[in-house]
Amino acid sequence: MTPYGPVAIYLAVALVASLAFCILPGLLARKKPNPVKSEAYECGVEPTSDVSGRFPVRFYLIAMLFVVFDVEAASFYPWAVQMHALKLFGLIEMVTFVVVLAIGYAYVWKRGGFQWR
Amino acid sequence: MLAQPFPLSDYAAILPLTIVATTPLMILLLDLILPKGAPRRDAAVAVGIAGLLLAAYVLVRQYLAHQFAPAFGFGFILGGFSIAFSLIVVAAAIFSLLMVLPQRDDEKVGPSCALMLWSAAGAMLMAGAGDLMTIFLGLEILSLALYCLCGMVLRASPVRLREARESALKYLILSSMASGFMLYGMALLFGATGSVNLAALQAIPAGNPVFAMGCGLFMIGVAFKLGLVPFHVWMPDVFEGAPLPVTAFMSVVTKAGMLAVFARFLYGVLGTDHQALIVPVWIVAGLSMLVGNLAALSQIDMKRLLAYSGIAQLGYIVAALAGTSTLGMRYALFYLGAYTFMNLGAFAVVALISRDQEEDSHLSAFSGLGTRHPLLAAAMAFFLLSLAGLPPTAGFIGKILILASTVAAGYQWLAWLLIAGTAISVYVYIKIVRAMYVPVDLAHIREIRPLSYAPWIAVAVCAVATIALGIYPAALHDVLPRIR
Amino acid sequence: MSVALANYIALSAVIFMIGAAGVVLRRNPLVMLMAIELMWNAANLAFVAYARASMNNAGHIFAFLVITVAAAEAAIGLAIVVIVFRRAEFVDVDEVSVLKG
Repeated sequence: MTPYGPVAIYLAVALVASLAFCILPGLLARKKPNPVKSEAYECGVEPTSDVSGRFPVRFYLIAMLFVVFDVEAASFYPWAVQMHALKLFGLIEMVTFVVVLAIGYAYVWKRGGFQWR
Repeated sequence: MLAQPFPLSDYAAILPLTIVATTPLMILLLDLILPKGAPRRDAAVAVGIAGLLLAAYVLVRQYLAHQFAPAFGFGFILGGFSIAFSLIVVAAAIFSLLMVLPQRDDEKVGPSCALMLWSAAGAMLMAGAGDLMTIFLGLEILSLALYCLCGMVLRASPVRLREARESALKYLILSSMASGFMLYGMALLFGATGSVNLAALQAIPAGNPVFAMGCGLFMIGVAFKLGLVPFHVWMPDVFEGAPLPVTAFMSVVTKAGMLAVFARFLYGVLGTDHQALIVPVWIVAGLSMLVGNLAALSQIDMKRLLAYSGIAQLGYIVAALAGTSTLGMRYALFYLGAYTFMNLGAFAVVALISRDQEEDSHLSAFSGLGTRHPLLAAAMAFFLLSLAGLPPTAGFIGKILILASTVAAGYQWLAWLLIAGTAISVYVYIKIVRAMYVPVDLAHIREIRPLSYAPWIAVAVCAVATIALGIYPAALHDVLPRIR
Repeated sequence: MSVALANYIALSAVIFMIGAAGVVLRRNPLVMLMAIELMWNAANLAFVAYARASMNNAGHIFAFLVITVAAAEAAIGLAIVVIVFRRAEFVDVDEVSVLKG
């Protein structure tokens, strides 16, 4: 068996189990529908609009900032792996990178880019 | 060995680039520190221009020292070629920065200047790029900053705001798609040769299908960014929607950067072995001359008109490269230099007589200019004659040189297309000149007082340069370096 | 368990085509941005596959560079989509038409 064998078995088991959990209730459960049960919520108000509507703009702002800082963090990994080999040179490069980022960060912060308005 | 992978001389090679890339950081910090209003705006522009002048000084020093050095393992190649293109980019950036102040008095001057400088840094990186990675990086630094710049219009009428934002969206989507084509082309080129280095790409014999496909996709990206004809549709819309200084900047800097990449690819990689792969490029260049000028005929917005005329002008420049001769390269550089001065001169005049936030750059802004501002009208007429290629201007000499090189390279049909395009373009430009000098009732014209007279500097420098290159072309021709 | 290089390249070509078709056919700018991302990442896949085949790290580095640039591009793209559609009540590029062309 190759080293990936266990992974394949694990994936297969996960797939079968999750499919089973989705299908079995439909087959086994007894169904006795009544109007109250089939309401969207059994308490509270009826939803007034389609839930798949548009998100407020601020979620996009968060997404934007997340994408940028997420990848910025990913840029640290190659350096972290080779940190000892790169010695001072790598450190200087990384500090330059962080300083440039920090100036951008300071600018966004000062201009209110992180405010939840 | 690993501790210091590159010698210090490599860092010296990219010193001008470093200056242009770090100046915006200073602009942003100053923007945070200085009080709101005029000091902040003036400081942003002043620091930006100072940084660019410093970079230009270093570039000239490098040129005089005859430095030729591949840096960072052929990632960046310092030489006469990269220095010439970088100087054009720096000059264009300075002129565009001069146009910022009369156009806007809002709080986005600092970020605009910073983005413009970063964009210029991207173009300078492209000018020296020696491998696919630096080409891509330079291209994206250039483009990403420009996407933002296109949408940066504040305090304008709702229509104007929407126009600017639309142009940003269009530019973003179309340009990213073109980058996608180019990137996939690069991946195939890498696959065909096993190297990202342009020097290594050279070794591939003609007829390799992966290589041919990679070249094709790469060229689509190039043609898109240069705005050559089947891929030009984005240009008029983006040029019209973007703020005026940004339009002026784009009209030269994106073209100069991409032209440097194209020339290096053409001369370094394709050479004369792959003629079949490049013939479509000359056809595209010929089409651009015709279509650009024909479409410019019916335009009534100055920015849109200059966009179409820019399509044609780029056609001329690319035509100079047909035949891939060293002389053709020099002539293309000469024309690019002349184009920089005449085009940015024209934009500077537009910046002085129309304002983004209040009125668009409609042609009617020019009516009666001959009596209102005789000096400005004379300069504008001169730039337009140069764009049309009439003597005694830099544009005339440039076109003669390009004609000579296309004929010498055996592309007579391209020379005929060039002449036809020029004939059409004369009508386009004369139309504006006539509007300026035909007597009109001045009472009906709304005079716009510019917020700043800084573009006068650009007008003066460009006018002097256009005359000087027209009368004494050897001034630039002698210093034009060989491509290396 | 090794997969031939040609399979990777074929897959990346298919993804690239899907991306290109997405940009051309879809009218929602967010979906168009995603399609562009798809094109870029198809190139990434080709880069990594070729790099592995030719034992040349340059391809891996290139892919990493592209990921970084793509993130910046996605952030700017989102920002532009937000400013274009913040006021307006539509998310469809055909309605973005003040500029004829």
